[in-house]
Amino acid sequence: MPRASKFTRSMAPSDEELVEQFQNGDSSAFDVLVRRWERKVQGAIYRLVGPGEDVRDLSQETLLKAYRGLGTFKQEARFSSWLYQIALNVCRDRMRRGRGKSYVSFDELSETGDTGTEPGPSALELIEARDLSRQVAAAVSALPQEQREVVVLKEYQGLTFLEIAEALDVPLSTVKTRLYRGLGQLRQELVRQGVRGGTPVPAPTS
Amino acid sequence: MDCDAFREEMMDLLYEEAAPAVARRLDEHQAACRACRDELSSFRRLRRHLASWRTPPDLGRVPRRFSSARPYLAMAAALLLLVMGGLALKGSELRYEQGRFAFRLGRAPEPSALSAALAAQEQRHRREIDALQATVAAMSEEATLRKVQRMIEESEARQATIVSAGLTRLEERTEARRQYDLAQVGAGLSYLDGKAGLQAARTTELMGHVLQASQKR
Repeated sequence: MPRASKFTRSMAPSDEELVEQFQNGDSSAFDVLVRRWERKVQGAIYRLVGPGEDVRDLSQETLLKAYRGLGTFKQEARFSSWLYQIALNVCRDRMRRGRGKSYVSFDELSETGDTGTEPGPSALELIEARDLSRQVAAAVSALPQEQREVVVLKEYQGLTFLEIAEALDVPLSTVKTRLYRGLGQLRQELVRQGVRGGTPVPAPTS
Repeated sequence: MDCDAFREEMMDLLYEEAAPAVARRLDEHQAACRACRDELSSFRRLRRHLASWRTPPDLGRVPRRFSSARPYLAMAAALLLLVMGGLALKGSELRYEQGRFAFRLGRAPEPSALSAALAAQEQRHRREIDALQATVAAMSEEATLRKVQRMIEESEARQATIVSAGLTRLEERTEARRQYDLAQVGAGLSYLDGKAGLQAARTTELMGHVLQASQKR
């Protein structure tokens, strides 16, 4: 039913329309925005501060700040960029206060989502994938904050360079430079940890 | 295109954001430059490694219904304030003290003050009646009537003064108590409000209106 789903998609209000509805007094529009973005925001926060209790608190704080600020949000930037900007600031504040360090607890990483749930990979491959997942998490967490932010927003959140530039309020060229350096450092770190380029885990299916 | 230019644009190619014309130039360069080709492919490999880090499925959901919860709470606060305002105007009290609400219907009488005044009054009356009975025999009927009339008037005036003073004191005390209770309720609501991340400013404003309304009474 590709036609029906396309039709449904086209009927769904855009972020911009929802923001406008909210600013015209329909506060339920925010619920739709939350449903649309909360998982993504949580994912970004999880990777920015590392797994732990803080993720839910920080997500809640981000969404509350968004709710409070949405009334005066001028749609000069995209809603998504603006929301990520709030999430980044919330994470930076938390790290500045030292309550949440940017670290990844390897114990927490034993549950790594749906990795390896597909039939196919052998037990050895699964173990290797899990090890790799931990190594990647540790390497991303060890990046300098500016590089980590760009890597998370680009690699894991899939924002465009323009959206990242808006969220970070820096020029496009700066985004690309930080990404280039961040990826270079990640590559170096993974090599140092013995991750070889010859046997990458299967590309994500979702 | 040289290697420096390739590196500058390589991120666009890696994340498939390069404009078609730029992508063509980049492809031409890497076809001819092994170092740049290797670098791009090592980044592509790295991206496949990075993809192994997934978010856990149980990250936890953020409580929803921001928009619906807040008006309900705001409406509940407004309703509470209205009820309290109405009760205050009628002399009843709804208090929030030490974590619990207390309700009292009607203006509180001050039993000790009133009963003392009434007892004194009664005693005075008895004394006056006794005095009258003692003197009545010796006086003419007309003079007695005048005297009784005067005494009754004096007594009524005294009684009126006592009752009026008592009522004024009572009213002042009740009013002060009511203001204090309203402020406490306001503070309690603001605290709850702040805790839930609600509109403390709006509640304060409502509180102001209620206070104003009750003072106009």
